[in-house]
Amino acid sequence: MYLYNLGKVSWQESQLIYHALARMGREALALLSPASPYVCAGYHQGLDQEVDLDFCQTRHIPIFRREVGGGTVYLDGNQLFFQLIIHPDNPVVPLSKDSFYRKFLGPVVNTYRRIGIQAEFKPVNDVIVNARKISGTGVGEIGDCLVFVGNLILDFNYEMMSRVLKVPDEKFRDKVHKTMEENLTTIRRELGETRASAWDEASLNNIMIEEFKPLLGSLTPRGIDSELQSKIDELGGWMLSGDWLYRKGRKISDREVRIRAGIKVVERMHKATGGLIRTSYEDREGRFANVSITGDFFCYPDEGVSRLESMLEGKSKDDVHQVLTQFYSAHEVETPGIGIDDWLVVFRD
Amino acid sequence: MELEGYNLPDDLYYQEGHFWIKKEDDYLVMGMDDFAQQMAGLVVYIQLPAEGKKLKAGKKFAKVESGKWLGKVFAPVNGELISSNQDLETKPTLINEDCYGQGWMYKIKPDDMAELDNLIKGPEAVKEWLLADIEKYKTT
Repeated sequence: MYLYNLGKVSWQESQLIYHALARMGREALALLSPASPYVCAGYHQGLDQEVDLDFCQTRHIPIFRREVGGGTVYLDGNQLFFQLIIHPDNPVVPLSKDSFYRKFLGPVVNTYRRIGIQAEFKPVNDVIVNARKISGTGVGEIGDCLVFVGNLILDFNYEMMSRVLKVPDEKFRDKVHKTMEENLTTIRRELGETRASAWDEASLNNIMIEEFKPLLGSLTPRGIDSELQSKIDELGGWMLSGDWLYRKGRKISDREVRIRAGIKVVERMHKATGGLIRTSYEDREGRFANVSITGDFFCYPDEGVSRLESMLEGKSKDDVHQVLTQFYSAHEVETPGIGIDDWLVVFRD
Repeated sequence: MELEGYNLPDDLYYQEGHFWIKKEDDYLVMGMDDFAQQMAGLVVYIQLPAEGKKLKAGKKFAKVESGKWLGKVFAPVNGELISSNQDLETKPTLINEDCYGQGWMYKIKPDDMAELDNLIKGPEAVKEWLLADIEKYKTT
């Protein structure tokens, strides 16, 4: 297997290299990071629905659509990418997805531990420290290869991450920003500025190589040769084109931003007979937090809405029907044209 | 057939990659089998190609995403896609809820119905194949 230890590359190459290697069927571990920031959307996403395109254009932030799943991310040089390109029939590849992530996130967990961060693997595909995520990962089947991509996070621009997303309103954006700060951490946050400064891209990647070697066998260093360059150029022709970038994505009726496994910020709307119900909340391991209910429906008495918000706080999503029954029976609340089934539309998955 | 928690109906044909195929008059219906949907976890996206797409047996014709894994769907036979289940566009989890019913994925007009013979069919063959896969997944 080849090792591409490339350091800083252009933002385009930071994505095109693994797409090219996979299509060439060349097994490799690539370690690199982008020289400038960009937004990277998941394969199935519709950019007009998920990314604040005006903001990105104004700020000259380029956008890429990867052939790997997951959501939109803001990427920059403080995130050190690892990209494993491997044939599915390579004997070191586990068959099950859970085992695949467990095995190949091992080197990432170990690298963090070697620099003093007590990281742990959290199924299916997260690396966490004290319940906070510290690596984003995904797998795509590209060409005849599996491509496993992820990052070591030296530092993270929470502000820009929440800014580049298309969101229904600024309140929702604030919720995303706050939840991300609470649930995503970085090497700098964990070690502090002074200790973190002892680790740069080269030293961290050297540890990554040492940790990946026992799993992958010998790694032969290689640079970008003419064959790879030509594939990168060929792919760039269409992966950077408007046709690929703005292709039709998944239709979304709700807005959900996944922060890490078990944590997401949700906004849902439902047009009931009695009017529009709009809710936003955090789903924390299946429990409601920071529930907000708005809309153009009537509720008697007025304070019924804030009472329902309070009643849902901390409750399991499995108990939502019970909470709603209690809300209507114990508090003499009336919501003309809106019944329990309508609330279930916005509060159940 | 129910085997180690996986339900694989006897009257269906199966593809190695764990998709089921059912013969309906002169066309085929295809979907993800129970083993695949359990292994995948919640399905978040299914590519639904337009009708008329030419399919080549064993070649990729769509993608499916679940649990941060973007995988491929391979054509079970040579033929033409005659429809995709549009309900999956807004509710891909129908595959998890009802993989043999509302969660069907594609309808295919095969060039030659005899190509079904290349798929896995019959309780004995399905049992042998499923048990081997369960074992492989356990050990790796």
